[in-house]
Amino acid sequence: MAARFLFILVVFAIAPPAHAQRLAADLSSKEVAISTGFSGAELLLFGATEGYGDIVVTVVGPLRNEVVRRKQRVAGIWVNGASVTFYEAPAYYRIAATRPLKEIAPPGVLEKLQIGVDRIELSTHSKRSPAEILAFRKALIRNKKSAQLYSEDVSDIRLVRDLLFRSTIPFPATVPIGEYQVTVYLFKNGKPVSSQKTPLPVRKVGMEAQIYNFAHQHAAWYGAIAILIALVAGWLAGVIFRRA
Amino acid sequence: MQIYLPIAEISLDALVLLGLGGMVGFLSGMFGVGGGFLMTPLLIFIGVPPAVAVGTEANQVVAASVSGALAHWRRGNVDVRMGVVLLIGGFIGSTLGVWLFTFLRGIGQIDFVISVSYVLFLGIIGTLMVVESVRAWFRSRNPSAPRRKLHYHNWLHGLPFKMRFRRSKLYISALLPLGVGILVGILAAIMGVGGGFVMVPAMIYLLGMPTSVVVGTSLFQIVFVTANVTFLQSVNNQTVDIVLALLLVVGSVIGAQLGARVGTKLRGEEVRVALGLIVLAVCARVAWTLVATPDDVYSLGIGGRH
Repeated sequence: MAARFLFILVVFAIAPPAHAQRLAADLSSKEVAISTGFSGAELLLFGATEGYGDIVVTVVGPLRNEVVRRKQRVAGIWVNGASVTFYEAPAYYRIAATRPLKEIAPPGVLEKLQIGVDRIELSTHSKRSPAEILAFRKALIRNKKSAQLYSEDVSDIRLVRDLLFRSTIPFPATVPIGEYQVTVYLFKNGKPVSSQKTPLPVRKVGMEAQIYNFAHQHAAWYGAIAILIALVAGWLAGVIFRRA
Repeated sequence: MQIYLPIAEISLDALVLLGLGGMVGFLSGMFGVGGGFLMTPLLIFIGVPPAVAVGTEANQVVAASVSGALAHWRRGNVDVRMGVVLLIGGFIGSTLGVWLFTFLRGIGQIDFVISVSYVLFLGIIGTLMVVESVRAWFRSRNPSAPRRKLHYHNWLHGLPFKMRFRRSKLYISALLPLGVGILVGILAAIMGVGGGFVMVPAMIYLLGMPTSVVVGTSLFQIVFVTANVTFLQSVNNQTVDIVLALLLVVGSVIGAQLGARVGTKLRGEEVRVALGLIVLAVCARVAWTLVATPDDVYSLGIGGRH
C-alpha cells in the first residue's frame, strides 16, 4: 500500500500539469471479503489532487427496496401497523469531505449529485401525505444510522499540502453484500470539476460464501443436508455418551 | 472468538453460542424437555433475526431429539401406530405452519406472532406446571385427600374414525391424535420448538396414553416433524443457519448429559416447579418486549419484494 501511495506521489511529481483538475484515488483493498472471522472492516481511501479545492467521497451500497414499518399500540401491545416501501434505497451510504458540505457547494449542486444523507433519492408509491412520507423517510435514515449503515456527513478528510488526502471507510459486521460505488469528487469554487468512480464489491468468501450460495441456489439439498448433519450429530452424541 | 454466521448475516461470539447451547442443553437434560422453547427466545435476545432463530432451532431440535428417540425405540417405548397418526398430523401442521410463517414474514408480522405465541403457550404451560406441582406437593403432605381420575370420558370420545392403539391400550378416534399432531406441527414451524411441552400433556390428559410410552412416542414424532420444518424453512425462507445450528448442537449435547445426571438426584415435584418458573420467566421476558415502548416505533423490514 505504501508503495502504491508513493507511486501516486511520484506520478504527480513528474507529470506536467496538463489538466488543471486532476484527481487520483485508490482503496487499500479491491473488495470487502466476508469470511468466517469477519466482524466488520475498515478500508482506507487515499489519493492525490492538484492545487486547492475540496474533496468529497461518497460510498453508496447496492440499491434495494426498503420497507419501513411503524408500530402502533393495540390493546397495550406494540404491533407493526402502517408501512412505506422506498424503492432503490442504498443499502449503505457514507459521505466524507474536507469541510462541512454547505461550505463546499450550494444546495442545488449537492442535490443534483445526491451528496448528503438528507439528499438521497428515495421514491415511493405510497399514497400517504407528504408529511407522513417524510416521517417514514427520516425513520429509514435514523434506523440505518443506528445500524451503522448510513453515517452522518463527516468532514474528516484532510488535504495535506493541497495535494494528498486520505479517508477511512468503516463497514459494520452486518454490511449488506453487493456492488458498492466509491466516488471521489474534487470541488473548486462550489463546482464539481473532477470525479472518479471506483467499484467496490462486498462479498462473502470461502466457507461463508459456499454455505450462503448453496442455501439459496440448492435450497432443497441444503435442507436435506442440514437434517442429515443434525441426525448424525445427535446420534453420535448418544453413542459417545453411552460409552462414557 | 467472533464467528460470522452465513445465513443470520451477523457476527457472534462462538463461545457464547456454545455456552448458550450448553446451558439450555443442561436444563433440557435435567428436566427432560427439548429446550427449543428456551433457545429460540434466547437467540432472538442476543440478536439473531427471529426468522433465522426459528428455522435454525428446528434443525437443532432434530439433533437434540434423535438419540433420545432411538433409546426409547430400543426399549420399545414407542407406540408406532400412535406415532404415525401424530406424525401425519405433524406433517400437515408443520407444512401449514411454514406457509403461514412465509406469509406473515411477507406482511411484516412474523416477529409479533412469534412473540405472542411464546407468551401464550409459555404462560399457560408454565402456570399449569407450577399449579400442578404445588398441588401434588400438598397431596403428598395430605395422603387422605381424594385422588383425581386419570382421564375423563367426554364428547371427544364420541368422535368417529375410531382406531385401536394396542401399545397405548386405547381405542379412540384417530382425529384426536391427528388434531394434536397438527397443532404441534404449526407450533414447531412458527415457534421453532419440538412441541414436547404441549404434546406430552396432551397425550397424558387428552388422549389418556400411559406415561411409559408418552416420552418415546413424542420424541419419535418430534424428530420427523422438526426435520420437515427444517426442510421447508430451508426451501421457502432460507432461514436455517447450519453453522449456528452446529455450534448449538455441540454445546447442547454436552450440557444435556450433565443435566441428566443432576436431574436424577432431584425430586420430581421440585424439578417441575423449577421448570415451571423458568418457563414463566421466559414468558415474562418475551411479554415485556411486546408491551414496553420501543426505542424507535419505526423499524426496517426485510424484503420489499414487489
